[in-house]
Amino acid sequence: MTRYAELQVTTNFSFLRGASHPHELVQTAKALGLTAVGIVDRNSLAGVVRAWSAVQDMGRAPGIKAFTGCRLDFADGTPSLLCYPSDREAYGRLTRLLTAGQRRSIKGECELHWEDYLQHAEGQLTLVVPPPHPDAAFEADLNRIAEALRGSVWLAASRPYGARDLHRLSKLAALAQASSAPMVATNDVLYHGPERRALQDVVTCIRETCAIHEAGLRLEANAERHLKSPEEMARLFARFPGAVERSVEIAARIQFDLGQLKYEYPDEPVPPGKTAIQHLRDLAWAGAEWRFAGGMGEKERRTIQHELDLIEELDYPNYFLTVHDIVAWARSQDILCQGRGSAANSCVCFCLGITSVDPTKADQDLLFSRFISRNRNEPPDIDVDFEHERREEVMQYVYRRYTRERAAIVATVIHYRPRMAIRQVGKALGLTEDVTAALSGTVWGSWGEMVPDEHIRQAGLDPDNPEIRRATALGQELLTFPRHLSQHVGGYVLTKRRLDETVPIGNAAMKDRTFIEWDKDDIDALKLMKVDILALGMLTALQRSFKMLPPRDDGSPITDIADIPQEVPEVYDMLCKADSVGVFQVESRAQMSMLPRLKPRRFYDLVVEVAIVRPGPIQGDMVHPYLKRRSGIEPITFPSPSPPYDPDELRSILSKTMGVPLFQEQAMRIAIEGAEFTPEQADGLRRAMATFRNYGHLEDYEGLFVEGMTRKGYERAFAENCFKQIRGFGSYGFPESHAISFALLVYASAWVKWKWPDAFCASLLNSQPMGFYQPAQLVRDAREHGVEVRPPDVLASDWDCTLEPVEGQRLRAMRLGLRQIKGFKEADGESLVKMRAAGVRTLEAFARGLSRRAMELLAEADAFAGMGLTRRQALWAVKGLLGETKVETDAPLLAGMGRPEAQVELPLMSLPMNVTEDYRTTRLSLKAHPCEFFRGELAQAGAVPAAALKHMRDRRWTSVGGIVLVRQRPGTAKGVVFMTLEDESGIANIVIWKDAFDANRRLVMTATLLQVHGQLQIESDVVHLVAKSFTDLSHLTARLRDEGPAAASGRKAGGLIHSRDFH
Amino acid sequence: MDRAGRKLGLYVGQKATDAAAIAPELITAEAEPEADALALEALVDWCVRFSPAVAADEPDGLFLDISGVAHLWGGEAALLADFQVRLTANGLAFRIAIADTPGAAWALAHYGEDGAIAPPGRQIALLAPLPPAALRLEPETAAQIDRLGLKVLAQLFDIPRAPLARRFGMETLTRIDQALGRSKEALTYRRPANPWFSRLAFAEPISAPEDMARVAYDVGLQLCARLEKEGQGARRFELCFHRVDGRVAPLNVGLALAARDPVRIAKLFAPKIETIDPGFGVEVVTLEAAEVAPLSGRQARLDSLLEAGGAEGLAPLIDRLTNRLGEDRVWKAQPVASHVPEQSAAPGPPLAPPVAGWDPERPRPLRLFSRPEPLELVMAPIPDDPPVQFRWRGQMHRVRRAEGPERIGEEWWRGEIDEARTYHIRDYYRVEDEAGGRFWLFRAGIYAPGVEARWWLHGLFA
Repeated sequence: MTRYAELQVTTNFSFLRGASHPHELVQTAKALGLTAVGIVDRNSLAGVVRAWSAVQDMGRAPGIKAFTGCRLDFADGTPSLLCYPSDREAYGRLTRLLTAGQRRSIKGECELHWEDYLQHAEGQLTLVVPPPHPDAAFEADLNRIAEALRGSVWLAASRPYGARDLHRLSKLAALAQASSAPMVATNDVLYHGPERRALQDVVTCIRETCAIHEAGLRLEANAERHLKSPEEMARLFARFPGAVERSVEIAARIQFDLGQLKYEYPDEPVPPGKTAIQHLRDLAWAGAEWRFAGGMGEKERRTIQHELDLIEELDYPNYFLTVHDIVAWARSQDILCQGRGSAANSCVCFCLGITSVDPTKADQDLLFSRFISRNRNEPPDIDVDFEHERREEVMQYVYRRYTRERAAIVATVIHYRPRMAIRQVGKALGLTEDVTAALSGTVWGSWGEMVPDEHIRQAGLDPDNPEIRRATALGQELLTFPRHLSQHVGGYVLTKRRLDETVPIGNAAMKDRTFIEWDKDDIDALKLMKVDILALGMLTALQRSFKMLPPRDDGSPITDIADIPQEVPEVYDMLCKADSVGVFQVESRAQMSMLPRLKPRRFYDLVVEVAIVRPGPIQGDMVHPYLKRRSGIEPITFPSPSPPYDPDELRSILSKTMGVPLFQEQAMRIAIEGAEFTPEQADGLRRAMATFRNYGHLEDYEGLFVEGMTRKGYERAFAENCFKQIRGFGSYGFPESHAISFALLVYASAWVKWKWPDAFCASLLNSQPMGFYQPAQLVRDAREHGVEVRPPDVLASDWDCTLEPVEGQRLRAMRLGLRQIKGFKEADGESLVKMRAAGVRTLEAFARGLSRRAMELLAEADAFAGMGLTRRQALWAVKGLLGETKVETDAPLLAGMGRPEAQVELPLMSLPMNVTEDYRTTRLSLKAHPCEFFRGELAQAGAVPAAALKHMRDRRWTSVGGIVLVRQRPGTAKGVVFMTLEDESGIANIVIWKDAFDANRRLVMTATLLQVHGQLQIESDVVHLVAKSFTDLSHLTARLRDEGPAAASGRKAGGLIHSRDFH
Repeated sequence: MDRAGRKLGLYVGQKATDAAAIAPELITAEAEPEADALALEALVDWCVRFSPAVAADEPDGLFLDISGVAHLWGGEAALLADFQVRLTANGLAFRIAIADTPGAAWALAHYGEDGAIAPPGRQIALLAPLPPAALRLEPETAAQIDRLGLKVLAQLFDIPRAPLARRFGMETLTRIDQALGRSKEALTYRRPANPWFSRLAFAEPISAPEDMARVAYDVGLQLCARLEKEGQGARRFELCFHRVDGRVAPLNVGLALAARDPVRIAKLFAPKIETIDPGFGVEVVTLEAAEVAPLSGRQARLDSLLEAGGAEGLAPLIDRLTNRLGEDRVWKAQPVASHVPEQSAAPGPPLAPPVAGWDPERPRPLRLFSRPEPLELVMAPIPDDPPVQFRWRGQMHRVRRAEGPERIGEEWWRGEIDEARTYHIRDYYRVEDEAGGRFWLFRAGIYAPGVEARWWLHGLFA
């Protein structure tokens, strides 16, 4: 039987060259009966882990191997080489070679020279790739290479079905003979099957930025560059005996397998003379003293003991020490942080200060061992969030501590977005710009389904037109392709030995940043360790609010999340009323309508709250059953199998969530216990879930899951819903272990909001941009909670918002900072504050130290009001002091320039105009709400104030008018648009069903001031107005600027407030 | 942004995706500032018919100085009306105003009533209600003036000049003065474009073909004399017969190499003049030269052409052939980057220098049949070895040597997409028969058991 190993396979990780995924190539190779495939992407190892994983997924006897190799393209004219490391050490040399090449080039490129290869060639098996027309120069090169690498060099020869293939092969055979680099057959594969030719042509066009009609010889002439069976290869190379068999001989010499990469933890954190576990035990027990402050009970002691034993047994102490090291440093720098992830919810992490969640608390039941399993050899997972404005400091610390040789950020594989895919494919197919734009315009949002026919028709195009169909079909295929690598937001890999001997490290676009070629999934697949160092705006805001909080009753300050009093009923009261503007995670409209229904009363309810408004539970239809059971409408039951299976096998998994699976961990355990997945299957399922957005893998498990459960007697509908939920997790997975950490931040921020709304609002404003609401809404909310808000003023404001004591009041007044003034620079703010400290009090004096631009911005923002100057007076004065300097010299026209100026009377600014100018300069106004000026018209048109809605009866028809703040069209909501209106009394939530939206699309999307007529829907204090019709009142806003003499034509009306739109 | 778009509430500066969300049927195109500038230039040229003094006001306006020409139309209003009719006929959207100064006209055209005519010396009243932006100020300056509460020019005119200049610069004062006619504004008027232009006007209209041929030579003589004087030659000439009814009949000739010999040029025009309908007669003839390039004196002489070899010797022949047979009938095959044989060559200029691009590894026959001819009795080992014999035009050929196949896939983007068409290929073979004849033949489609292969002859090698 003929045997063959294809040693020249390019995947789609050679961006815009290869046209198949690594797993497609591996699966096809197996089906064709190949011995092995060798993955050789261009100067990159980005695709090798995926190919290797595809083999692992085939089980214990895959019957195929995927070799790790690389095609090296040189900058100095050396012929391209296919390099296969024969063992671990040679592999390390290859990754060092690639690292060197990438580090000296710009992002995404790799500059290599022959000398580089010579230095790293030990242990490498080398295949020389001949050019299309092998000439004398190539012959010389080949001899040189064969001489240098004697005994481990071959000449790769393929048959692309060109006119003179055999002639060329004979010539190559002669060259091979003469240079003692034996000829080996390859097919220089670009795709797994011939049907991918079209896509390969398209990516070529994208690469060459040309249309397919003009691509000409840049395309391949035929569809032959696919994987071929050993028999076919033998036929093609019949005249060259041994060429095919030789591939297997080379394969036999490759001893390296990615599974040999063994992770070794860095040992920096361990002090000399101690073992890692000793050190960890010491730290944990010391931490326990601090956390439990002498109140440690037997339960806590036992938990810590148990966890430490488990950590020792699984050999993870270094991992915990590494995370602790980073977190401890951050704490020493007063940077707030919070860990999350499966291992984070352990008592040890609580004691180490990695999280502030106390897992030993009565009702938490957050057992750590459940998620670090002995059986599954899965590395622990801890992500740590830091204050978003100070995360960079932490990253720099990591580089300092572990050096750049041993610490790097992992990659993120950037895929094509639907619009991008369709645009690029359209361009490549030579569709005109307007057609391509119309096609891509039919895609809403960034992820989701490709263009359905109906949308194409709506865009005025014919979905049956072959060109259009081709574009959408190819676009769909391209959608799953990697486009380039980018650095992950904060995932670090740290190693003991040089990291560049494990994976190539390249430059990021950002200066002085490097990242490795593998992404999170690759790292997981190889069971390497990573730490996520992430940025979270709420931590910045919390830290800032801690600094503003008065001390607690016992006089001690609050400096950490753990210092916040726990389980205060009033905090939950507030959340139950959906009074959650600004509160972490639960401030979005969807969360706000969930709060009064879910009625959180204790910490674990917040965990559920955070996790439930997400695609997983929604798609799995789990939300309503859970709510019903919570409110007692439906009894709590547990799905159970038929005998002989244990009817309670799901009870322990689902008891915390009233029998309804809500979390990713529960779904996984249902797969294992309910559907009897083997550890391998479960592992595969988890991996498929993580990468679901990119591949269709997940579907492979559906049958297994549903059949597994029904076989045991579970209801099919329940099994199917569970799987739907898994699919939802795939798109936006959110495990319980993360929800717990987030829930703590929900509670912490809610507590600050409840207790000190002044500090809460100021710290949120000082941490912008973050969160869901704009400053105007945050300020409005603070005022509704009794906080006095004062305008930005040169005599009182700092750069940040500050709190000013108010006589006889518990809450202080919030003074808006100069940061609220659009366009005003922080450096100007600092010099202003300095000048004020030095006694500067007049406009003239400020003008001496600030730029004209800065002074104008202050004047236009009404920040000189404290001196008794109106906006216009201040601007006129500023311009007079810091006018156009060139005027001074230009005397004749301006006789009398030096003399005191004639007094100029400027018109007084009307209140509506003042409000408009407030919005323009600071995005909010404390003087009035624009709707106050239209209340007459609104009332006449039948609109009630937004605040009145909640006192009306359910299902009543009414109307409300206001400024459009937000428009949202969530992907999970089937075309429903959610809109938020604001008037002077409050906020109204509008629901626009698809029909109403389609009929009024233009108006809904453009109106700035809108009256909505519809029917009220009130359920558990959640008030929605379901829109029936609309009246556009945007023209009224123009009147705000109208101050007398007829305003001129040609100005765009509106623009008062820019709504935030998500589509 | 057109009127329909504005009506939908779209505006310039809006994100294309936002606009598309409002109006999914929106048609967008890339902005082409260069093309816009060219179009404006063309419009400026076209306006010369109203007044020679036209100045472009980029990016989207123009000034027309109509001092002393309005009487030709019977007054400014009539001129304006005529202008509007003609612009409308050209499908242009526009706003116009007439005033004493460019500044005032600009202000009225942009912010006043469309079609306003400011009475001489009295524009100030019309300008008074317009916003500061009407003064052609920097947008930020205009906005700031507006924010000070100075919403209309009447207010601005009342502000003392010194404080105003100190705050908003001399530029602002200058703009006020220019609008009110207190200071002059120099506009850059466009000059005639092509200097290589000659014109003959006749006292009596002519219409006889021989007269037309003669004046063609005469006008050519004039232009060629100038070309010779400046050491230039041209590769393209446009001859225009301007008829008494205002119509123009243009004729074009192109040359392979630049020339300036009036006789030769007249000869090239001669056969075409017969096609001209002179109508009621021709009163003016003009000749314009394009692609003008330096040309030495020696090469311009007819006798030297006879001695010159190579391209220069071929040039007159090719010009004659071309002008007799038609421009598309005389050509030289140029390689085209395409895998498909029938598309891999295209006609190029006959005197183009020899090009690289014919790939020796991809041999193509000297003669390629425009329609491949079917072959019979082809014997070839399966699946894709070269044939050993074939019959073409009734004659058997035994293959002595062969090379191939060269597999060429169809251009999938041209066909339907229902079928997976990876088997739509041609396998080409270069074969030599026992008589030494060399053929290029192909089998259509990939070998499939039970399907009879179809063979074709596509060309002959030398």
